[in-house]
Amino acid sequence: MDMKKDKALEELFLSQKPHFSDKADFMAALTKRLDAVEFIKQHQEAAIRRYKMLMVVAFVVGIVSGALAIGYVLSTPVDVPLFTFHVQTGLLLWLVENSRMIAATGLSLLMTLGIISIISNVQDILRMRVSLKA
Amino acid sequence: MTREVFIAYVEREQEALRGFLLALCCGKKDDADDLAQDALVKAYLSCAGYQDKGKFRSWLFKIAYNTFLNHKASQRSTESIDEARTLVSSTTADSEFEHQDLYLAMRTLPPKERSAITLFYLNGYNVKEIAVITETSEDAVKKQLSRGRDRLREQLIIDN
Repeated sequence: MDMKKDKALEELFLSQKPHFSDKADFMAALTKRLDAVEFIKQHQEAAIRRYKMLMVVAFVVGIVSGALAIGYVLSTPVDVPLFTFHVQTGLLLWLVENSRMIAATGLSLLMTLGIISIISNVQDILRMRVSLKA
Repeated sequence: MTREVFIAYVEREQEALRGFLLALCCGKKDDADDLAQDALVKAYLSCAGYQDKGKFRSWLFKIAYNTFLNHKASQRSTESIDEARTLVSSTTADSEFEHQDLYLAMRTLPPKERSAITLFYLNGYNVKEIAVITETSEDAVKKQLSRGRDRLREQLIIDN
């Protein structure tokens, strides 16, 4: 069952229903605000596009340079160390002996960090897009 | 929804929206218009998600209602109802509008009761529609309407 209306109250409300004489001014002010919103939105969308492009470039450069570096490491002779030290101590000798493994591990770590960073940035872009749409 | 369609809808509904917010702001026209503009910008930004065809006004009122509540919350008003009663004598409502008694009496109502009363008596919504706009249960709306009506009557009798 719906509520019954208090007639006196209803009449009081309806008798003072406001009429606005500045409708055009209100719409002009709104149009200005919407223009500003559109401007900011376009600016943010352009920033997201640039950011996305940079991410793609970084990803491609990372993959290509990583592949080249790993290719170089693998193409060098197995019995020739990748780097040498002029000082012959136990630790440095171990590093020289395992130089290929160390270089490959270092490169893999760098590439992993790069990919994690790119994924995180892509997620940021997606979040920015969602907040822009909301 | 394109910008042109949105503007066309708003042109049709602006008077109802501004009237609703004017009542919620107890006759303070500048405040009401600022809130109306804020609500319309929010509506524009989320109009891609607008799906209830034919219920644009209700959708707009829902956004306006939430904008009003957020505005009230951000004001952190220390004004209690008793304090508001003392303000009734001072005419702070916009002088452009007649019958300020009602607006001043509306000041004594909490925001949710004020919204329910305005939607019911000024905008002609029924309890079910008000429950949808204010996102509360129909029973809660009925209570708000009943309490609001009693307070308003009492206050209007005191004024007169």
